[in-house]
Amino acid sequence: MSDQDNIGEISADHYSYWILIPITIVMVQTGVLRHYASVLLQTAPKKQDAPAMREQRSLGRGVALRSNYHALSKKSFESRRDYLISAYENGDFLKEPEKKGQPPANPMSDPSAMDGMMGMMKNNMAMMIPNTLIMSWINAFFSGYVTMKLPFPLTIKFKSMLQAGVQTKDMDPRWMSSISWYFLCIFGLQFVYVFLLGSDNAASQLNQQMQAQQMPNPMMGGPGQDPDKQFKAEAENLAVVDHYSVLDDVEGRLLASLNKA
Amino acid sequence: MSIERENQIHPIVTDLTSSLFGVTAGILGLESYNGFLLYLVLSVITTIFVYVVKVLPESLSEGRSIGDTQRFFKGALQFWSGGLASGMPGFVLTWTLFYGLVRV
Repeated sequence: MSDQDNIGEISADHYSYWILIPITIVMVQTGVLRHYASVLLQTAPKKQDAPAMREQRSLGRGVALRSNYHALSKKSFESRRDYLISAYENGDFLKEPEKKGQPPANPMSDPSAMDGMMGMMKNNMAMMIPNTLIMSWINAFFSGYVTMKLPFPLTIKFKSMLQAGVQTKDMDPRWMSSISWYFLCIFGLQFVYVFLLGSDNAASQLNQQMQAQQMPNPMMGGPGQDPDKQFKAEAENLAVVDHYSVLDDVEGRLLASLNKA
Repeated sequence: MSIERENQIHPIVTDLTSSLFGVTAGILGLESYNGFLLYLVLSVITTIFVYVVKVLPESLSEGRSIGDTQRFFKGALQFWSGGLASGMPGFVLTWTLFYGLVRV
């Protein structure tokens, strides 16, 4: 047995239970708390008034027409297109038609935008505060202890991360300090939350980050962009659509297939 | 069962089983590649179980061929490899814990 192993055998005595068990319990309970905090902090999405809703949805109508025009006959497509283009260019769908052409208001001053930002702030806070608290708690109580040996080898680069606070130069990076058990808990406790809270829980911060990435751009048609400009652009896109229908010349194709058979 | 329901259940199965595989690997005292290999093999076996017990009967009654997972899943790759990455952190956690508790 080499000297390195000896160092490990001595330091990783059974006192490591007194580090692992508290950290694990605290991490699980933080996850549960975070789940219920985010459930309680959730505010129902505010109802929008009819003109604002119309402004958003009518833009989507143009997009839908542009991407599904092949299901319409030429006549019905053109009547829809004429209606939408003229309405877009006149600004019929605008929430505030009298403000047409003016620069958009500062999003910070819009109260409806502030609500969304407050929601994001709350979520971030629910993640940041427990993390900082637990990190400093572990650093205050358990820094400098070697708790466990990883079952797989790691390169020397991991040493500074896994053995932060342990002043031993040539110890194998597989030996990890209490703070690295904390990191393992952050990533690996998902199954505990699934077991305790169900699969769509808000306990794991990784899940929340993934959801935030998958969220569609909330700014579409919202504050910060001039809806009049979006309508103009959509009218232009609609105008250049070269229409065809899946039913074009369908009787000819049917007869041809019958003749072949 | 629907696709959405299946997408909920399948991660639960992989999350819970992968943590149990970690316990297995830790108690057996496996190190480095052996542990990951055990995880890979056992996850594949679990997925085969899920396939045989849940997916296969309903696929066959719909007239689909064996090995076709399109009844509940968007693609075969999603079904066979979807749980591997999501179960990995839990596996490493319990593996480390039980390896440390048993061996050190």
